[in-house]
Amino acid sequence: MTKRRKISDFMANAMTYFASFISILMLVWIFFYIFSTGMKSFDFKMLTTNYWSTNYKIEFESPDAGSFEKPGSLGDSVAYSVKYGVGFEDVSTKSGTMDLQVVYIASDSPLNSGTNAVAGETLGQSQSIDLGSNVQRITYVNSDGSYASEGNSKGSSAAQLAAALDQSVSIDSMQYQTPGGGVGGSLKATLMLIGMTLLFALPVGIFAAIYLHELAPKNRLTRLIRSSIEMLAGVPSIIFGLMGVAVLFPITAAFGIKSTSILLGSLTLAIMLLPVIIRNTEEALIVVPNGFRDGSLSLGATETQTIFKVVLPSALPGILSAVLLSIGRIIGESAALIFTMGTFIMDKPTLTQNATSLAVQIWSVMSGENPNFGLACAISIIILVIVLILNLTIKLITARLMKKWSA
Amino acid sequence: MSVRGYVNKNSLKRRKVVDTFAKTVFRLCGFISAIMIVVIFVFIVQRGIQVFFPGYQFGNIDFLSFISGFTWRQDQMIYGVFFIFINTLITAFGAALIAFPLSILSALFIAKIVPKRFKIIFTTVIELLAAIPSVVYGVFAAGVIVKWIDSFASALGYTTRGGNSLLAVIILLAIMIYPTITTMAITAIEAVPKETEEGSLALGASKTQTYFKVILGSARSGIVAGLVLGLGRAFGEATAVSMVAGNALVGPTLNPFDITRTLTTTMLSGLKETSGLDYDVRFSVGIVLMITIVITNFIIHRIKDKLGGEKA
Repeated sequence: MTKRRKISDFMANAMTYFASFISILMLVWIFFYIFSTGMKSFDFKMLTTNYWSTNYKIEFESPDAGSFEKPGSLGDSVAYSVKYGVGFEDVSTKSGTMDLQVVYIASDSPLNSGTNAVAGETLGQSQSIDLGSNVQRITYVNSDGSYASEGNSKGSSAAQLAAALDQSVSIDSMQYQTPGGGVGGSLKATLMLIGMTLLFALPVGIFAAIYLHELAPKNRLTRLIRSSIEMLAGVPSIIFGLMGVAVLFPITAAFGIKSTSILLGSLTLAIMLLPVIIRNTEEALIVVPNGFRDGSLSLGATETQTIFKVVLPSALPGILSAVLLSIGRIIGESAALIFTMGTFIMDKPTLTQNATSLAVQIWSVMSGENPNFGLACAISIIILVIVLILNLTIKLITARLMKKWSA
Repeated sequence: MSVRGYVNKNSLKRRKVVDTFAKTVFRLCGFISAIMIVVIFVFIVQRGIQVFFPGYQFGNIDFLSFISGFTWRQDQMIYGVFFIFINTLITAFGAALIAFPLSILSALFIAKIVPKRFKIIFTTVIELLAAIPSVVYGVFAAGVIVKWIDSFASALGYTTRGGNSLLAVIILLAIMIYPTITTMAITAIEAVPKETEEGSLALGASKTQTYFKVILGSARSGIVAGLVLGLGRAFGEATAVSMVAGNALVGPTLNPFDITRTLTTTMLSGLKETSGLDYDVRFSVGIVLMITIVITNFIIHRIKDKLGGEKA
């Protein structure tokens, strides 16, 4: 080999190294950014809490002061009221204001006996205070029978509030604001979406795969069906969103659903996922040895019996990985859902109403006037972790499947 | 007792009915899956073209000014899609220009050059990049890429709108389509027969020469399929792009530091508070998007057939 050849070979090789290491760099960078930004806002509590903060006014059924020891787990920054067993802390919020947050409530504290005091359907129902709530005002009764109040709306600090409460004999009422910024509603909506989508897509997808692989004759029509399904896989998701509005919305409207809804979103995604499910199921059917089918048929079973009792059970791991792949796609999908489910974040999603999935909530908080990077990255962490777990599981299943049939 | 005693005639009959019924259901599901593509196309076209015809309830758009227009202003009911179409081509092909060479090089590296035990690291990286949902890419782009571009632009003496720019869209799309093209290219390279490689080596070519000249040539078909898939993703990508595009009102955008507007961002912009004509025109944009993808696929395949004498 000439020297020139060696040098140019080296350069070409170096370029391939360079390109591949860029890909690693990119991945690390994305994960680093998402995790470093999101971790500040991430909190396991956000999985169950509401996005919108709500104002509550509550009264107490057993308002009298007692005596509660300060638990050792609370730090010095927490102002603790020994008479009511509640801890407060001054917390600066992202918007720059100071919150007076409830950070601890003893299990038998009088504050746990709150009932809703605002006129309406919920009047008189018991209302427990979420930790992290911002105390607007607590009205209490002093030993001389006079009423006084302290709280964030009066500009008091946590220490002032706790000290004032410890001078009182009972509490009268409390106004507070729940923390908000959670993803509970979107998480619920995402789970509903996954369930409904699979409910629609799995039977049709699996049956179509069975038809294509087990029953369809090898002719032009079958080839046409295959290439149509292939084409479906190449359609961008935003087009599926349009399709949902144009084709499926009239169908759900016929059932009395007036707006875009989780149901509409799941129907749309079901169609979008058909190619994924069909392809993966078929790949699982291909590896089932033909001897299984011959054996079953020669024992007198019908084709249907053979399919359901022999072929499908053997193809189950492949179908499972199709399901996991679909779940990954549903969790990550945004464009189609923006059209078919709307972008308004709902804390209590129902099937027949607008809602956001986790991914669409990211889009929602990012597309306003002030994009909320903290929350967007925190939700991204949740999505990335789920996607990672799904991918690993699929890899394991495929590896096992390969082993099973090659052994 | 004879065998016949054990065979229940009713059960046989029932089995046959169930069998026929199940087969019909299977066939029906296959046909439904296949017909969806037609349904999608027909319904979107039907809804998209109605804005051009008299009799549409919310007013009309002139078809010629729609397909040749250089301004898109929802507030003034001016809808010209031509510059958006050009913008979309620029962003998608710009992204492919960056991603395609990187993808081919990485695919060669992963399929042929890297030692076997490190291969799993690189394939996992590509798989993960492919699995990251587009909104997450969007958050990354809006948080990181736009800041690079803003400081890069100010170093060159340009100002940007907070970094939202054509260049940001191109870089974002390049990152997003890179795993798509790479995966397809790896599959294509690994499918090249061993004999082709050995033949080249036996003729005295170096390993690197073989990889770049022989293997890439033989894998051409699969690599082009990857490029088509990547371009399709770039054309159709919506949420991530609209986080950094900036939605320009006029165009086409040629300055990389200027804001742009693509077909998909147009379909998403202001979706929350719109109805009537402005909503239905998104379907017209959707038709343009579908046509763009189909024509691009067609042209690329034609170019591939022209370039290569023999079909690989």
